[in-house]
This record gives sequence, structure tokens and C-alpha cells, in this order.
Amino acid sequence: MNSQNRKRLRGLSVHVVLMICVVISVFPFYWIIVMATNTSQDIYSYPPKLWFGGNLLTNIQHLFDKMDFFGSLFNTVIVAVCTTLLVLFFDSLAAFAFAKYEFPGKKFLFGLLLAMYILPTQLAIIPQYEIMVQLGWLGTLKALIVPAAANAFGIFWMRQYTSTGVPDELLDAARIEGAGFFRQYWHVVLPCVRPALAFLGIYTFIAAWNDYILPLVMLVNPDELTLQVALAQLYAGHSTDYSMVMSGVLLAVIPLVLVFTFFARGFIADATKGALR
Amino acid sequence: MSSSPVAGPAATGPSSGPATGPSGQPAPDRHRGPGRPGRRIRPVSAGGRRGPRRGIARYFPQYLAVSPYYLIFSVFMLFPMLYTVYLAFQKWDGIGEMQFVGLQQFRFLWDDPVFWLSLRNTVVIWVLSTVPMLFMALVLAVLVNSVRRFTAFYRVALFIPSITSLVAIAIFFGAIFSNNFGLINAILQSMHLSAVPWLSNEWTIKLVIAALMTWQWTGYNAIIYLAGLQAIPSELYEAAKMDGAGPVRIFFSITIPMLRPIILFTVVVSTVTGLQSFTEPQVLFGSDASTNPNSGGPGQAGLTTLLYFYHQAFDNNDFGYAAAIVWAFFLLILLIVTINWRLVQRKERRP
Amino acid sequence: MDLSRRRFLQAAVLTAAAAGATAACGGGTGESGSKDSKNLKFWYWAGGLSDKVVADAEKQFSDVSLKTSVIGGDFKTKLLTGMKTAQTAPDITGIKGEDIASFLPNAGRFLDLNSLGMDKLAPEYLSWKLKQATTQDGKLIGFPIDIGPCAMYYREDLFAKAGLPTDPAKVSSELSTWDAYFEAGVELHKAVPKTFLVNNIGAVFSMAVGQGTSRYIDADNKFIGDQDHIRTAWTTAVKPYTLGIDAKINDNTWNAAIGNGTLGTEIGAAWHALDISNAAPGTKGKWRVASLPSGPSNLGGSFLCLPSTCANPEKAFEIIKWILSPENQARGFTDAALFPTAPAAYELPALTGGDAFFGGQKTIEIFGPAAEKIPAAYEAPADAAVSAAYFNELTNVEAKGKDPETAWKDAVSQAKQIAQRQGVK
Repeated sequence: MNSQNRKRLRGLSVHVVLMICVVISVFPFYWIIVMATNTSQDIYSYPPKLWFGGNLLTNIQHLFDKMDFFGSLFNTVIVAVCTTLLVLFFDSLAAFAFAKYEFPGKKFLFGLLLAMYILPTQLAIIPQYEIMVQLGWLGTLKALIVPAAANAFGIFWMRQYTSTGVPDELLDAARIEGAGFFRQYWHVVLPCVRPALAFLGIYTFIAAWNDYILPLVMLVNPDELTLQVALAQLYAGHSTDYSMVMSGVLLAVIPLVLVFTFFARGFIADATKGALR
Repeated sequence: MSSSPVAGPAATGPSSGPATGPSGQPAPDRHRGPGRPGRRIRPVSAGGRRGPRRGIARYFPQYLAVSPYYLIFSVFMLFPMLYTVYLAFQKWDGIGEMQFVGLQQFRFLWDDPVFWLSLRNTVVIWVLSTVPMLFMALVLAVLVNSVRRFTAFYRVALFIPSITSLVAIAIFFGAIFSNNFGLINAILQSMHLSAVPWLSNEWTIKLVIAALMTWQWTGYNAIIYLAGLQAIPSELYEAAKMDGAGPVRIFFSITIPMLRPIILFTVVVSTVTGLQSFTEPQVLFGSDASTNPNSGGPGQAGLTTLLYFYHQAFDNNDFGYAAAIVWAFFLLILLIVTINWRLVQRKERRP
Repeated sequence: MDLSRRRFLQAAVLTAAAAGATAACGGGTGESGSKDSKNLKFWYWAGGLSDKVVADAEKQFSDVSLKTSVIGGDFKTKLLTGMKTAQTAPDITGIKGEDIASFLPNAGRFLDLNSLGMDKLAPEYLSWKLKQATTQDGKLIGFPIDIGPCAMYYREDLFAKAGLPTDPAKVSSELSTWDAYFEAGVELHKAVPKTFLVNNIGAVFSMAVGQGTSRYIDADNKFIGDQDHIRTAWTTAVKPYTLGIDAKINDNTWNAAIGNGTLGTEIGAAWHALDISNAAPGTKGKWRVASLPSGPSNLGGSFLCLPSTCANPEKAFEIIKWILSPENQARGFTDAALFPTAPAAYELPALTGGDAFFGGQKTIEIFGPAAEKIPAAYEAPADAAVSAAYFNELTNVEAKGKDPETAWKDAVSQAKQIAQRQGVK
């Protein structure tokens, strides 16, 4: 066997190993579809069904009987969209100030930002809950949106991008024309940092979509729930109709995965950048 | 609290360049150098149009710009955290009056075997997930780095688990590891092996939770390692090959040392997230018994510290005790992160 | 992703404004909502009431709008959260039997039903059940929905296979003690190897504790969970484990196990029948009900309560009175296996008739006498929290094979500590 062939063979075996990993990675999605399209009896039986069935619509019908799916979906979308927009705005604005300006206390404030990175949110959750009670926000989506409306990670990320991605020459030019801080932000910074905003937006959206503990604590009524909490409740308890629950999981997961795969390439590149810097 | 807060940001923070990573110091503005011509000490406009404004006032726009985060942070994080400290010295059921009890809650904590059990569970699950996760991620990254084709596809496919909802995945794992009717046991059965009561046994419960976390985060870490690998100059490899080093040797004497800052980052992040496992056992075992919700499953084997905290606060309404639990837990995270940090740093000094 | 910055900023500002506005309006409408006596929020949990009766109540009381919510998750947790503020609090709410005691110390948060006219109705309802929701100074906070007289559900077909008696009366008389019951379980398991007698030993324990007249904490707020009555219940509970007839099911595979014959019997309250028929519709006709070995016990049985923030106490009381009238309680039994708290209902055809799921058996013959003989026991506010220690240790025995004796010691010491944390002497 010549070395050319051996090399090729080795390359092939690497691909085989990687493909196995890919299969493990995406298998749950396949299996969720299998379970969601069969009946619970099929799932419980041995040997289990390995291929899609035709029961999806019936399962979804049962799902809709058991939970207000579209209500929960709507709540989730509201929370995710509002949080994302607020985070993008507040974080990019703060990042601009940190990246391009000096002001008294900046070091301290930025240091504080760094220090808050590893605090577990649970540390604050009981008083947060009491604060929401006092504000009358308990059981409303505000209780989820407002505490998440700005975050340290986003400011880091945007600051990094702003300091390199926004040319000082442009800012100088704007200043010479008499543009103040917010005008610069509006006319110079925002257009320049769009790629970074895209990443932060997707990141925030996914995080808000998937959040569990805060909605679990803050929301009560079935018509206030987000999808994650509603799904977990559906699953809880003894009388579990797996195929029905799986159809809910399917409906809740698929949109996000589709959206993600659409933006995946740029997103992944940015995500690693965030980690590497 | 002095050393570890540095940990997260220095690794994560977009602020420090690759060169500052290993030192562990957050060096916010160094990477451009102080003397860079474009940098403005203060904005032209501030002194320009409206005449000289004095003191803090001229920085008003900057303070306004950064204020939302600090406002939100103070109201919803800083104040609550301090309040949690205060609560830890009270007995409070959430409805009635608070009653000052001094250090009693911490004495209870010290004597509470369930608390210690929950710490043990948390740490075991963390080790069971983090070690294989990071190891496999490294191997995967090296593999992806060694091929030319389909890399974009591999990256997306491997990354997807990390953006998938934890609740959905917990439900999925609950279904396939179901004792009597799960896919895993069906496979075992078809291979004429006996079924394993995955969700009833003390160790397999932890394995299932760890497997869940491993599934979710291995790809993510692999992608991060991959980016690190691609940043290693190829001359290094060529030089090593010239010296006759084999692939294994190259891996340990070039790849690993060059990746160290990134490995540090992934270790810290996995530690912080891994120790905070809550959703997995909560969804898997949440209300399996009406008389005893959130007990962490059979043998309380899935009772992580945060789940115990949640149980005490929101099921038993023992808010003072819950506050003591969560603070003790936070100190544990700090401790472990610090140890991690020291370990990785020490290794670094060795050649 | 190309985001026009103008659009983006507009959206962000709009969102912020909208959030602010809804915050302002939300507070406003919420307050007026809570004072609006025409809108009543009504909370219960799935299976907590007959959905049909509730739907009829909405029609019956058309002068108010009754907004019913079936709350998921841990109901007590959700209720405590909801009751934090007047605007989020329900006007009428269910409270589960195992939780009612923990609400008694905060009875001030609920209306005294006696002052709304319950004192006149009281003789029509089981007095021991009313007592569970009565404070020491005589305030009644809960209208009893149902009681949980316990029985032994068994698979007639599997009993026949094992050569055991199949007729409910005969089963009741032959398996009249825990030991006789366990012996039958051994035979059953021998004849049908995949079938176990009990779901888990925690279930046996809670039945056995319920058969006594005292629980973990006495009326003087003293911990008695280390005494003989609990010890005996523990010993009883561990037996099926040592005999190998315990299915050790502590997760939601129960659902499947009940349907495929893994479980030959199921001990539980009357309302548990609904769980069984929901989980295993395919086993219809194969189940029967017999008396609980060693005497009747009560498990759960819930209440309807009016939080003190209730917008229209008179109307709300009228509604719950209607929902829980003997006639409607009888419907609750048919629809949701809720065993009535008004003895008058026991004579109604809904109860005296046969149940198709149980092969046409007249289950009242089992539950009726059981309901009458239920021992009344004092349930302390910390009861549920303290009992958790015992259940946890019993699952430790099942999951880890922990030595039952060690488990008992650990359970007692933990229970003591929880009791202490909860302010028990």
C-alpha cells in the first residue's frame, strides 16, 4: 500500500468517526420526531418503532387540549424579542461609552462588570421574587424581561467589537461636525457594529427562549407560562402521554433549530471569537 | 472574593487579547496600547459647543449610556444578593413576619446530611460530565482540524446541541432512559443484556444527568478548541515534524500547551455552569411524588444543591434556610473555580 | 443578518416604551381587577374538581365572570406565589389535603367560611374533614372537596392466574392484614414473575401512617416521629422490599407499569382510581377494589378556599357551595373519582352504581365503610415537610439498597432536624 492510499484511508476513517459524532449530536431530534409521530403505545412497546409514524396530528391535537400551546409560544416570543431588543440597545450603548471614552469611575465600573460574571443568578432569586411582588410584576412577562434587559456579557462583547470595529477617524469626523455622544452612537457606531449585534441578538434570543428557572419561579397562571415551563409541567406527573409531550417538544424546539441553522455559520464563528478573546 | 471573579472575565471577556489570557489578569484596555493616536481622552464635543462644563456633568452622556446595566444590576442582582445574606440570618416563611435567628440556619446547614448529600451529588455530576466532555471535545477538535472537507457541516451539527432547550433535552433523556420502556433499555434487551433501571439507581441517575450535560456541551467546547487549534501557527508543527516528533508527541508538547488559555476558559465555564445544574433533575424528577416534590429522584441521587435550595425556598417556604444554602453554595463555586485556576496556572509555569 | 439601525433603534425604543406603559397600565388594571366583584379568578389543578361541574358553574353564575385556571406544576408553590399580591391572587382556590395544615398558621390570609354561612351547612359534611381545615380558635378556611378513603386496587385477571381469590369481598376478608397481603404478593410474583405487588414502599408507608391516630407531630407541637406508631409503619413498609415484591417505581414509568401488568395491585385513595384509568385505559374491566389491609386510611382529599383578597366573598361562597353540593359531589365522583365529603351523596345513584372500569363493581361498598371508619389524626403545619425525610430514606432503601435499619435512623434524625427548622419543639 503506498503512502497516498494510506493517507486517504486515514482521512476516511476520521470522517467516519466525525460522522458518528454528528449522528449522536442530531439523534435526539430524529428520535423526538419518531416519538412525536407515533402513539404512546408504540413507544412503550418492544421492539420500539424506529421510524416516523402517522400520528403526529392526533398527538398535536391532544397537546392542544392539554395546554395553550400558542399562548405559551406567544409569551415566549414576546419575552425573547423584547429581551433581545433591549439587550442590543443597552449593551451596545454602554459598550460604546466603555470602548471610546474615558470618564471618572470607568475602571471601577468596568471592573465591577467583570466581577459579576460568575455570580449565579440563583443567589438573587428569592429577593428578586419579593421585588417582583412589590412592583406588582409577579406573574407578568415583565418579571422576565426587565432583569434580563442588559447583561455583562453583551457589554464585553460589544465593547470589544466597538473598540476595534469602529474607526476612530469616523468618530473624529462626526465630532468635528458637532455630533454629540448619542448622535455618534446613532450615525457612526450602530452601522459599524451590526455584525456584532447580529451575534449578540441571536445569543440573547436563544438564551431568553430557553430560560427556565426565572419563569418557573415568577409565572403562575397557565396563560402566562413560557414554553419551557409549560412543557416541563406537561411532562411532570404520573400520567404522561409521551407521544403527546414529544409533539410539544418538537414544536418548541424545531423553530429555534431552524433559525439557528440558518444563521449558524456566522454565529459559530462569533461564538468562538467571544470565547477566545 | 478577591481572586476568582477575575476568572470568568479574563477567560471569557472579549477584553484581553490572546497574550493576556494566560496571565489571568483582566487587562481591559491594554491591547491597543496607551499611546495609540486615535484614542480620545475626552470627546471633543464635550468641551466644544456648550462651553466648558465642569466636573462630572460633562460625562453625563457616558454615564447615561452605561446606567441601564448598572441600574438593572443594582436592583435585580446586587441588592437581592445582599438581601440574601440578610435573609440567611432570619427565619421566614415568605408570608408571616421575619424572625432573627442569628447563625442558626448555618448551624442547621452544617448538621444537615441532605445538604452535604446535595453537594456530593453536584460535584459528582460535575466531574462525571466535565472530564469526558472536555476530553472528547479536544479529540473532536483535533479530528475536525485534520480534515479539509465538510468542516462547516461538522461545526454546525456539533454546535446544535448547545442551543437546544434544556427542558426539551431533559424530557428526551427521561424518555429514552426510562426504566421499563426507554430506547436504551430496548437496545440492551435486543443485545440480550438485562435492562438497567437508569432512573432508579443512585449512580445511573447521575450518569444520565452527566450524559445529558456531556451531550449538550461537548460540541460547543470542540468548536472553541477548534478555533484555538486553527490559531496555532503551522510553522510550529512543521518544525516539530522536522525534529521527528510523532503525532502523539506533537499533540502533547505543542497542541496542549498552545491551547492552555482556551482550556482554562472551558474549564472555568464548565465548572460554573456544571455546578449550577438544576433544570436537569428538576425536569426529570420534578414532581414524581405529590407528597414529596423536587426531592431529586430515587435516593435523592439527582438532588443537586440548587435543586435543594429551590425545594427549601419554594416548596417548604423556608426562605432563611434556602438563603443560607445558596450562599454556602456560592462559596463552594468560588473555591472550586479558584482551585481550577491555580491548577491550570501552575501547570503553565512548567515548560 | 442585516439590521437597519433606524428600524432597530425604533424597535428598541418602542419596546422600552411599551414595557414602561404596560408596567403602568398593568398595575392599574390589576388593581381595579382585584376589586372588580364581577370577575372571579378560580384556581384548581387537573383532576382536582370535575371539569364538567366547573363548566356548569360558569353558566350557573352568569352574573359574574368566573375565570378558571387549571394550574400545573406544584400547586402549593404556585398558590403561595400567586397569593403574594392581591392582583395575582385567585378569588377562589383549591388547596390539597396534604398542604392544608401548612396554611393554618396563616389562616388570616383566608376568609373564615363559618362567617359566610358554612356554620349552618357544617352538619351535612364529614366533621373530621372539616376539622382539618379549622384553626385552633375555630376559624374554618376550607370547604372540603373530597376525602381520600384508601383501598387496595388489584388486577383480577392476575389474581386469578396466581390462584388468589378474585371476588372483592373475599379479597377484602382474606387479605385483611398487611402480612396476608404481602403473602399474596409473594404468590402473585411467583405465578406471574413480571408482576410486583406494590409500586413503591413509600406508598405502603403513607397508608400505614394514615391508619393511626397520630402522625409525626402532636397537637402540642412536639416531634413524635421517632415513636412506635411510626416505627411500626416503617417496618410494615420495608417488608415488601425484603420479600422482593416491590416494583421500586419512583419515576414516571409508573404510567406504563400500571398498563402492562408490572403492577398487580395499587394501594391508594379513592381519587387514585382516576390516575389508574387515565394511565391505563387498556386495562378497563380488569381492575377491582378491595379494602385496604389492616383497616382504613385517608390520603389527601382537598379543599376549596377563599383568599382574604377575594373580590366578592358572598358570591364566591355561593359558587363553592354550589360546586360542592351533594349532587355535584356525586358528579365529581363519576368524572374525577372525587369521593364526596357530604354523606348524603353516598346514597345517590352515581355512587351506588357500578363502575365499568372496575368491571361493574359497586366501589361504594368498599369506600363507603372505609370513609366512615377513617381515624382522625392531628396534622401539624410541618407535617408534609417532616414526612419527606421518611419517604426519601425509603427510596434510598429502594434505589441504593441502603440498610433499612440505618435508613430508619437517618430518617428520624433528618425528620427531627426539619421539624426543628420548622419551629417544632
